[in-house]
Amino acid sequence: MKKWLLLLLILMLSLMVACTTGSGEDEEVDAETDSSESEETSSEEDSSEETASESDSGQVLRLNNGSEPTSFDPPQGFNAVSWNALNNLMEGLTRLDESHQPAAAIAEDWEISEDGTEYTFYLREDANWSNGDPVTAEDFVFAWTRLLDPDEASPAAFLGYFIEGAEEFNTGSGSADDLGLVAEDEKTFKVTLNAPTGFFLDLISNPAFFPVNQSVVEENPDWHTEAESFVSNGPFMLDEWEHESHFVFKKNPEYWDVDNVSLNEVHWAMVNDENTEYQMYESGELDTTAVPADLSEQLLESDEAFFEDQAGVYFYRFNVEMEPFQNEKIRKAFAKVINQEDIVQYITKNNEEPAYGFVAPSFQDPEGNDFREKNGDLITYDPEEARQLLEEGMAEEGYDELPEVVLSYNTSEAHRAIAEYMQEVYREELNVDVTLENTEWNVFLEDQQNLNLQFSRSSFLADYADPVNFLESFVTDSSMNRTGWSNSEYDELIAAAKSEADESQRYQYLYEAEQILFEELPLFPIHFYNQVGLQKPEVTGIVRHPVGYLELKWASKQ
Amino acid sequence: MIRYIFKRFLMMILTIWIIATLTFVLMNAIPGSPFNEERTSNEAVQENLERHFNLDEPPIVQYFAYLKSIVTFDFGPSIKKPNDTVNDLLARGFPISAELGIISIVVALFSGIALGVIAALRHNGFIDYLAMTIAVLGISIPNFVLATLLIQQLAVNTGIFPVATWQSPMHMILPTLALATGPMAIIARLTRSSMLEVLTQDYIKMARAKGLSPTKVVIKHALKNALMPVVTILGTLLAGILTGTFVIEKIFAIPGMGRYFVESINQRDYPVIMGTTVFYSAFLVFALFLVDIAYGILDPRIKLHKEERG
Repeated sequence: MKKWLLLLLILMLSLMVACTTGSGEDEEVDAETDSSESEETSSEEDSSEETASESDSGQVLRLNNGSEPTSFDPPQGFNAVSWNALNNLMEGLTRLDESHQPAAAIAEDWEISEDGTEYTFYLREDANWSNGDPVTAEDFVFAWTRLLDPDEASPAAFLGYFIEGAEEFNTGSGSADDLGLVAEDEKTFKVTLNAPTGFFLDLISNPAFFPVNQSVVEENPDWHTEAESFVSNGPFMLDEWEHESHFVFKKNPEYWDVDNVSLNEVHWAMVNDENTEYQMYESGELDTTAVPADLSEQLLESDEAFFEDQAGVYFYRFNVEMEPFQNEKIRKAFAKVINQEDIVQYITKNNEEPAYGFVAPSFQDPEGNDFREKNGDLITYDPEEARQLLEEGMAEEGYDELPEVVLSYNTSEAHRAIAEYMQEVYREELNVDVTLENTEWNVFLEDQQNLNLQFSRSSFLADYADPVNFLESFVTDSSMNRTGWSNSEYDELIAAAKSEADESQRYQYLYEAEQILFEELPLFPIHFYNQVGLQKPEVTGIVRHPVGYLELKWASKQ
Repeated sequence: MIRYIFKRFLMMILTIWIIATLTFVLMNAIPGSPFNEERTSNEAVQENLERHFNLDEPPIVQYFAYLKSIVTFDFGPSIKKPNDTVNDLLARGFPISAELGIISIVVALFSGIALGVIAALRHNGFIDYLAMTIAVLGISIPNFVLATLLIQQLAVNTGIFPVATWQSPMHMILPTLALATGPMAIIARLTRSSMLEVLTQDYIKMARAKGLSPTKVVIKHALKNALMPVVTILGTLLAGILTGTFVIEKIFAIPGMGRYFVESINQRDYPVIMGTTVFYSAFLVFALFLVDIAYGILDPRIKLHKEERG
């Protein structure tokens, strides 16, 4: 009798489930029929479909995207979970090649005017959308206008501010008609910039600048939310997208360079737990994986480990409006006593490169010098000098005792380890007791932006591959400055670099700017970021760009 | 009875309203914004975004808009997932979470009761000790540890089960085990102790004396009363399973609702926070309401009692 009631109870609970989500019930049923269908096909092992997929199976790459892409609409998906996939579904005027330089893509060729502000792109005759439509100059005008439209509220819109009239349009004071974007004919696209922008070809390889198929978008504004309606123009097309679960790419037969694409299929899981991801890699369900922090020491020794640069830097900000960091010598003392080499070797243990400047390695000036090498080590480890600087700084400010210093970081094991190391170093080498404080990520960011933090952990990841992207963060009143530091000479140098047509001269400005930044030192760097993980030996040709996105065009799996 | 149900129903609405209001106040009190990114952020871009999501309006206007969204059950678009409305997320995630949750609670109930009954019948025997050892282990091992262990042993090392994701019935076994073990252990212990007590009662002796078969005695007479405490804690267990799914879903990469709930708070995705919190609490409050009613049906004394007081 009571058991009956129990059953009744369970029944009621499940009924409740059914009532609250009518549509959800349908999905469940769908899923069930799906799985029974797939069971049927697998029981008929020798059916033609099965053999076809078997012969292809060598070319099915299995990756993990971590989580659901926020959006496959180019101006909306402004983050790695969207970009990694999108970069392979679509293609802009240029695409970064294996050595991370912009190469001809949808644009076959281009001309740049004498003064460097007008770019004329000639699109490939055979550049088509996956539905067969040609990719036209109009598509680019339409897509870039959408990127800048204030009503679209694209988080990446500021990347387009180099285009004439763009900032005015996006901030509401201009109109779309004044944008420097013209479709001269079906395959000729002309862009006018505010100033010569040496890295423009690099910038437009960013997914935010991908074209969209105008007729498709106008017909169905939600074209990008489902695999069925998604229209791509890149090496792959979206074959299946089960939200929050997985999505599947197939080779795009309409892609102009399809002969050089060797993968037939890419299967993307969405596993958001690093241990699970690694276990799936171990059991062969994934071809690449990130490395769980507690296993890194042992795993990174293996042959399957890879290390790639990433254009980003882990650093600490001083708040120059708070005591005692208004004093340059005290700032330098706090910076020079930290040994970056020790941190990467004994604490992070991820093979990062210790940073002695702000701009990451791998940017080349026109003379072929690496920016980082040419500008050299702008800060060096020297505890002896640090002690002396601290003494001088305290004398300058008339301190008998150093005001209390609070070092802040956002809550995370990794950040805490570095912070504790620094605390120990300050105590031992400078005889200064530093208090550690950590807050949740979003709270931390808010405090940092409002200059409430005295001395705080920071990181910078480049949006596009040019040193100016690193250095422009610290101009007066930039939302990325977050130190209260301001230097008019620095501001002028960055402004000059942004409007300089001569590349050598432009780099010269940037070299000088970085030197000023380190003379006054409102920040000091710890290490440059890298991309680390494991990859199965049969997988080759995946390119990981330092600006953060993944390239599968040349990838293959034996 | 009707009056009791009606009263409980009003209480339920009131509870949900209080939870909703508290969520709103807390959400507005904590610092941060959905548009904070470590990447470059630009003020003009931020303003466009705030306008787009009506976050530039005064809190009181937002509060009423939000109450309206609860009543109409339309929580609007997600900020961090521009493709989806909150309703989409709920409609997509909830059936999967519910599937996992219901399978787990059913597994926990049946295996827990079976284990408890067997242990009670073999009191102080080997099977009793074995069952109770399993129960103690089940209670003391947190589900995320168990999950990782299960994956390592049964998926990675032996390859019997897939490691993660949610596709076929094979994919469901490990997460269900991980999630059901804790509640199962609690139910087993509870069933065993109340069963032991019931078995010494006079009416059981009477039933045996009548010459009923042992199975009939146990199932029809003993179990009936021994299960009362299990029903009592069913509501609490349901809450436990619900919160357990957050962790289990993450570990097994199950596309349920838990991730939205956790992620949305970290990302300050206000509409999703509001939507999932209200939805979860409404679900839980409603489940407790059902348990209460079921309990009233099971034990007439309780219903009478409450009706008198009310």
